[in-house]
Amino acid sequence: MDWTMLADPLILSELVFQGLVRGSMYALMGIGLSLIFGILGIVNFAHGEQFMIGTYVMYFVAAVLGLPFAVGILFAAVALFLAGMAIERGLIEPLRRRAGRDWLVDSFVLTIGLMVILQNLAQIVFGTRRRGITELVPGSLELAGITVTYERLVIFLTAVLIVALLFLFIKYTALGKAIRATAQHAEAAQTLGIDIGRIYTIGFGLGAALAGVAGALLISIFPAFPTVGYQPVLKSFAVVIIGGLGNIPGAIAAGYLLGVIEAYAIFFLSAGWQAVLTPLLIVLVLIIRPQGLFTAQGERP
Amino acid sequence: MALEVRNLVVGYTREVPILRGVELTARDGLVTVVIGPNGAGKSTLLRAIYGYLRPSEGDILHDGRSIRGLSPHRMLEEGIGLLLQGRSIFPAMTVEENLELGGWIIRRDRARLRRAFEEVYARFPVLRERRHDPAGALSGGQQRMLELARITMTGPRTLLLDEPSVGLMPRLVDEVYDEISKLKGEKFTILMVDQNVKKAIEIADFVYVLNLGENSHQGPVEEFRHRLEDIVREWL
Repeated sequence: MDWTMLADPLILSELVFQGLVRGSMYALMGIGLSLIFGILGIVNFAHGEQFMIGTYVMYFVAAVLGLPFAVGILFAAVALFLAGMAIERGLIEPLRRRAGRDWLVDSFVLTIGLMVILQNLAQIVFGTRRRGITELVPGSLELAGITVTYERLVIFLTAVLIVALLFLFIKYTALGKAIRATAQHAEAAQTLGIDIGRIYTIGFGLGAALAGVAGALLISIFPAFPTVGYQPVLKSFAVVIIGGLGNIPGAIAAGYLLGVIEAYAIFFLSAGWQAVLTPLLIVLVLIIRPQGLFTAQGERP
Repeated sequence: MALEVRNLVVGYTREVPILRGVELTARDGLVTVVIGPNGAGKSTLLRAIYGYLRPSEGDILHDGRSIRGLSPHRMLEEGIGLLLQGRSIFPAMTVEENLELGGWIIRRDRARLRRAFEEVYARFPVLRERRHDPAGALSGGQQRMLELARITMTGPRTLLLDEPSVGLMPRLVDEVYDEISKLKGEKFTILMVDQNVKKAIEIADFVYVLNLGENSHQGPVEEFRHRLEDIVREWL
């Protein structure tokens, strides 16, 4: 390999941008996973399947119905928000009533089961054929010497917009504060009159919606097929471990960090190396800073 | 706003009740203290009143109305606040955000919320000074003050206090009981469960002793001062 490329600003900035596009997906997925863990104490193994449903929603809205991609993203967000709330109410809430000390294991079995069912359901309904959209937004522009396709720009900016809106929602609205309070001390939130059952339902819906949006946004890279969620969900676990469990700003930072690292790894070490580097990074973080790179010791969001 | 507990039977499993027919009345505007050895069911009693546990028998009346079976998040609307045992602040949120959540059920009534803030800040000036700090950065005593302030934002008249001084340094323990005495002066109806028998008796009007999930003694505090040592000795 040619190490002089490391000094080439064009290549470096091109890779940073590639990394930011990848990172947008990782951040969206990671925030969703982190939100669900922070609020409900559930490691959602069906998170990738929520991404998968998002890709199908986008395919049908944009390719079959021929509507603009923004409508597809909106549909994916709404569909997954509703589906997430239904899953929480119908499956998780009844389990929580019965579960006691074994909540982590019980919810693990539930979300793994959900993953298998959703994958197979998708296979029965849609088959295994990949349904993709090669180009959501045509065209490109020259930016400081590097070529940026509108496609990538749109993915990146949409993700940034959604992350920013979510951040403002969590930080400043009454409901956002109630969500944070429930994540930090559910019982205390309850004594103050907050219906934590409702917060759990909304929280799961929000997390699912983020995964759905990620799927819809990335359809040109990840076409819709029943097991498309595997890779994104693995990445989002990496993001959550690196950023700190339940830490939302940490998930954002870790998502983009991982995206950029992978872009560099693919370019300089060849494709496939990112699959080695990511677990390596996880192991390093777990050894050096097990609470996550962006979380102070013992802190919760 | 008297709180009455009638023949309450509660357990985590149906076969082994923790409370076996407890009777208790927290009288209007007075401090009622429940003491008893470890495992007597004191905290279970408060948690059952507040709706965390479902009684299998008996009733709970607040101001004559049954509140049995209500969820915990409905209790403030009924005018009952609960100070949880141990630390219950939201540590990563600011002091002000913590108090704002204390006013959750009145969040749409801006004027009332503003008044509640003014009252709380007048009562606890230190909370005003530190309103922009994360609650987790407060000292242990200040955190307790914040917890007390938070449950009184909406003006409940009945307060349930679960071990208010547990885990605090001795100097801070006095501060907490001073604060509870003030609440007593303001005619809150207080039902307090406490391990710190001496301190609790000092501010109590009425005392109940629980043992193994049953009433063992009860009466006005005057009857207890001289019998206290005998009763505590029974537990050992």
